[in-house]
Amino acid sequence: MQQVLRGVSLNQEQMVLAISAVLFVLFSVALESFFQVSNLLSLLQNVSILGILAIGMSVVIIGRGIDLTMVAVMVFSVGWSFSMYLDGMAIGPALALGLLLALAIGAVNGILIAYVEIPAIFATLAMATAISGLGRFALVDTDTLFITQDLGLLGQIGSGRLGAVVPMPVVLFLVLACLAYVGLRFTRYGAFVYAIGDNYMAARNNGIANRPMTVLMYTVSAAIAFAAGLIMTTTVSTVNTKLANSTMVYDIILVVVIGGIGLSGGKGSIRNVLSGTILIGLLLNGMTIMNISYSVQSIIKAVILLAAIIVDSMLNPRDEQTSQQGDI
Amino acid sequence: MSVVAMDRQPLVEMQGATKEYRGVPAIRNVDFKLAAGEVHALLGENGAGKSTLTKIMAGVTELTSGTMLLDGCPVSFATPGEALENGIAMVFQETSLVPSMTVAQNLYLGEEKLFNRLRGIYIAAQQFMQSLNFDVDPWADVATLGAAKKQMVEIARAVRQKARVIIFDEPTATLTPEEKRHFFNLVQQLKSRGVAVIFISHALEEALAIGDSISILRDGELVASGPVGDYDRNSIVQAMVGRTLSEELYHSHGEDVTRRPGKKVLSVQNLSMSKVVKNNSFSVYGGQITGIFGLIGSGRTEAAKVISGIYKRDFFHGGEVRLNGKPVRYRTPRRAVKDGIVYVTEDRKIEGFFESMSIADNIHRAAQAANVSSGVFVNYAEVKEMAREWSRKLNIKAINSNARVIELSGGNQQKVVIARALVQKPKVVIFDEPTRGVDVGAIAEIHHLINELADQGIAVVVISSYLPEILNISDRILVSRAGRVVEEFTPEEATEERIMFAAVH
Repeated sequence: MQQVLRGVSLNQEQMVLAISAVLFVLFSVALESFFQVSNLLSLLQNVSILGILAIGMSVVIIGRGIDLTMVAVMVFSVGWSFSMYLDGMAIGPALALGLLLALAIGAVNGILIAYVEIPAIFATLAMATAISGLGRFALVDTDTLFITQDLGLLGQIGSGRLGAVVPMPVVLFLVLACLAYVGLRFTRYGAFVYAIGDNYMAARNNGIANRPMTVLMYTVSAAIAFAAGLIMTTTVSTVNTKLANSTMVYDIILVVVIGGIGLSGGKGSIRNVLSGTILIGLLLNGMTIMNISYSVQSIIKAVILLAAIIVDSMLNPRDEQTSQQGDI
Repeated sequence: MSVVAMDRQPLVEMQGATKEYRGVPAIRNVDFKLAAGEVHALLGENGAGKSTLTKIMAGVTELTSGTMLLDGCPVSFATPGEALENGIAMVFQETSLVPSMTVAQNLYLGEEKLFNRLRGIYIAAQQFMQSLNFDVDPWADVATLGAAKKQMVEIARAVRQKARVIIFDEPTATLTPEEKRHFFNLVQQLKSRGVAVIFISHALEEALAIGDSISILRDGELVASGPVGDYDRNSIVQAMVGRTLSEELYHSHGEDVTRRPGKKVLSVQNLSMSKVVKNNSFSVYGGQITGIFGLIGSGRTEAAKVISGIYKRDFFHGGEVRLNGKPVRYRTPRRAVKDGIVYVTEDRKIEGFFESMSIADNIHRAAQAANVSSGVFVNYAEVKEMAREWSRKLNIKAINSNARVIELSGGNQQKVVIARALVQKPKVVIFDEPTRGVDVGAIAEIHHLINELADQGIAVVVISSYLPEILNISDRILVSRAGRVVEEFTPEEATEERIMFAAVH
């Protein structure tokens, strides 16, 4: 198996795209309602929130961190905004306060990780739990907020369609992906994120401002979480705070890892997020059409995640030559 | 010395051994013989294939083509465990002991019974260590042992597993001179037990002193092999690099005069950091090379790291560092880099470069960090230009410009790390072991470069635990012991003996 796979030189990104293509053809042939413009658009729309969150997560993971607060931040920063709006505040200030809250949480995450030096996974796990508790206790006083008022132009963010065809969430996902791509690949800050993820000590010794950069990374992921929350809320006109306690954050990591961004940091790009998002979107859509139950879907997702990691380690084995100390 | 009968059946023999990594041969058509009870030194520049050859014997990797014979029978080991069962053990540069366990537990690792009686293990371990004449406490945690004692434990483990061949990969690189002497005694003991020892080293003097036979690899091919008496320093170097470097390597600086000290750039007063750096005081002048010699644990690296902001000095009574007369206290290396103090690490893999990035990206990141390249958007033309410029200046060789740094040879990696420091336009450069794990040809180039820097008026500090390097390159020699600089020599008055005496006593 290993020998066979090695003959084919595909990286994980190309492999994910190849599998996506195969699934696409399979579903188109086998499932009657799959290959229709309306279904394909709704496929993209359904997965765009996950994709946006994955963009934020990938920034942090490339910088050798992880942000488990994303879903909690998304739910409660936006939830708080709309809660205040429903209580009579103007929408502008309400959203501004919500965004500020998200940024503040991101900054606290970054400070805990960079300055207090708590490992990212523990810091953000604790913060996620704290936000879920505090949010439900102090910010949003029901499980589900229903937004009955017409949001006007703002509502277009979620429910509008570009050229009356492409849903706005999809457009915004692509716009954010482009922004993140440019940010990571073409700015000095993006370059520093890769440097920090690749070798934290070398980055520090070389004079990169590791700690402010870390704070920036988590602030960016929190801001992206707020954007995802705003788009989701305006799409479905509800805020479901129970989402904060769901397994959604693992789905985000699933997208990032399947796309081929290594959890060890310093590797991958936004292109990997796009391919990961497409594969997961296809799968979820196909499984939904086939009426596969939610539990079975979870199992399938898990198997695919494991398969992706195993095949990746077969295709890119630990380099015999460089993983050992000493020269050749 | 040539008591080893070369015509006897060799214990291990390689015939036409070839190993390719992704189509690139690391060794090519090597014929190698190892007799029982001989100490065989394996020499060659970095990337010559020494480690590959030994890793095949130890079962870490397998041959692409060719055969390996053990006692005359063809063998092939899939795992190090299999090699060990057949009596071939390898002691790696980084020891493979479990630091949190005791010596005895390490010795018996993997052989524990279901109900593990620790007392029994300790008694057996003590007896075993005594039978080998090793002075190591079986109750001690491995983490608390020095490099030499760790090596003893490794050797004891190999002997216990009835190894007939023990391969040492650069065993003396991290040892102090005293520990080295001890190690050589161990090798002699092993030899007298009939164990064959393969010894990979960069230090030619050591190979000449303790080896019975020598094999020299160059670019993956065996270029010379024979009893040690047939070789001297010059002929070995010539075989290794394929050209005569002779004395140029460590005496290039011989004829030019010692540089006069320029302005006092850095003044360190009573610097202290926990128990490692204690009341350390010294000065560094522009336009000359200040050599700091010290054994491992003498606090020289730590002092350098405090000065360059990597470590923080003690809050109370931490002493003072003045840069051009102005007191400075750095909380992060970022400030030090801004003020022009850069530190070139001794451990490039851990804290020197970004392994997944190309040479160009590595150098450019450093330029960005120091704001030499200050644009918000990365200018890829500039990245390319910078890489071309520094690759030319430092003679960095890579298969192609997109090669990741981790794929380069030790010497080229070190040059990248140096380029990363120099691109930041420093006023003070601290080189910590600048030629560790670097091949012979690159050592000369790096020394030449360091001399050039001093000629340009930059204050250069070279930390080294290799005496010939310190003696050759320094305009001023400081000796560090137990956390502080204890002696200063001019190059004229310095000898190896005097420096070593100051460093040890």
